[in-house]
Amino acid sequence: MPVYVYAITSDSHPLRLEELHGVGDPPVALHTIGGDSLRAVVSEVPEDLAMSRRDLEAHHAVQQSLGADGSILPLSFGYVAADEEAVRGVLRERAEEFSKTLETLSGRVEFNVKAVENEDGLLRAVLSRSEQARRLNEATRAGGGSYEDRLALGELLAQEVQATEEALAAEIVEALRPLVHSQQLSPPSQRYFLNASFLVEEDRAEEFVRAADELAERYGETAEVRVRGPLPPYSFA
Amino acid sequence: MTVTPQGGGGLAAGGGRGTGNLYDVLDLVLDRGLVIDVFARVSLVGIEILKVDARVVVASVDTYLRFAEACNRLDLESGRKAPAQLTDIVQDTTEGVAKGKGKGALAGAVEAITDSLHKGEDEEDTVSERRGRSRQEEPEPRSHRSSRSRGD
Repeated sequence: MPVYVYAITSDSHPLRLEELHGVGDPPVALHTIGGDSLRAVVSEVPEDLAMSRRDLEAHHAVQQSLGADGSILPLSFGYVAADEEAVRGVLRERAEEFSKTLETLSGRVEFNVKAVENEDGLLRAVLSRSEQARRLNEATRAGGGSYEDRLALGELLAQEVQATEEALAAEIVEALRPLVHSQQLSPPSQRYFLNASFLVEEDRAEEFVRAADELAERYGETAEVRVRGPLPPYSFA
Repeated sequence: MTVTPQGGGGLAAGGGRGTGNLYDVLDLVLDRGLVIDVFARVSLVGIEILKVDARVVVASVDTYLRFAEACNRLDLESGRKAPAQLTDIVQDTTEGVAKGKGKGALAGAVEAITDSLHKGEDEEDTVSERRGRSRQEEPEPRSHRSSRSRGD
């Protein structure tokens, strides 16, 4: 029978599964499959398993709780093994690699920092430092100026906004770097101009949050900085 | 800014769960985490959509005009205080951002899903509904790496 796989842990993990709920509705119960020194936390696969809010939340919640109790390798959402034996096989074959990673992750948590632009704030900042932008803005306000003026203004703004965001993202990453064990940066996307995950020692987590908080405060005019965590080490598994 | 489960530094069990939390970590749940190739991944429809490229800075006439319009509309009087800090940032190097460009091809799709999550509906909001999401426009011209020169 196929099994849904949530996470891999060492056999020293307390694995308190009683109060956790798996995917599906009603949520399926969790159990473990043992290898030599590793365990996989699994459940049966509900028939209507899907990339839905319900199942994503359940998956995340299980990993969040397991991660609170010890080192885990959280699986990406949606992985199903053909049967329990397939899971045992993977635990056997990749035991060394998994154990090593679990060790690296031990005592460390992930924080994710995302930044969303505050367009008005960014535009104001550009205007304040670019005389050309101010001039073009004045010329084109209230319907004045030519089409070329408006285009020139827009192009200048677009470039300056992006440059500012890149600089801001770099600034944030640089400021946090001394507090982290390692980091994983995603390319900017439409929604987030900064999307960075950091692996942080548990006992530096508060310090990290304080620092991130200060950055969010400092750059609040131009960006909304969102700090999430502590999280299971998704980006470092 | 929002910081989810604090509770004194530990990975507080279950803290900050729910959609409010999931919203900003969805890309991690989907795009990160351990991948085991010999296992099957469910919802192949979803996976397909996850391949949409994340890189979305658009350099087009439309974008420029929209920027210009947004700028024209700014209430300049109310925003006078902002800039001092910005100047400092811009002076700094922009290196460092360029790293890690290879990963996260899924972000676009994640955004599609977060859109649906954000609507606050239950259960029905699977990724497959978002399949038709169009790909993004041309790559942006990365010509302003040197914008530290402030362009004026």
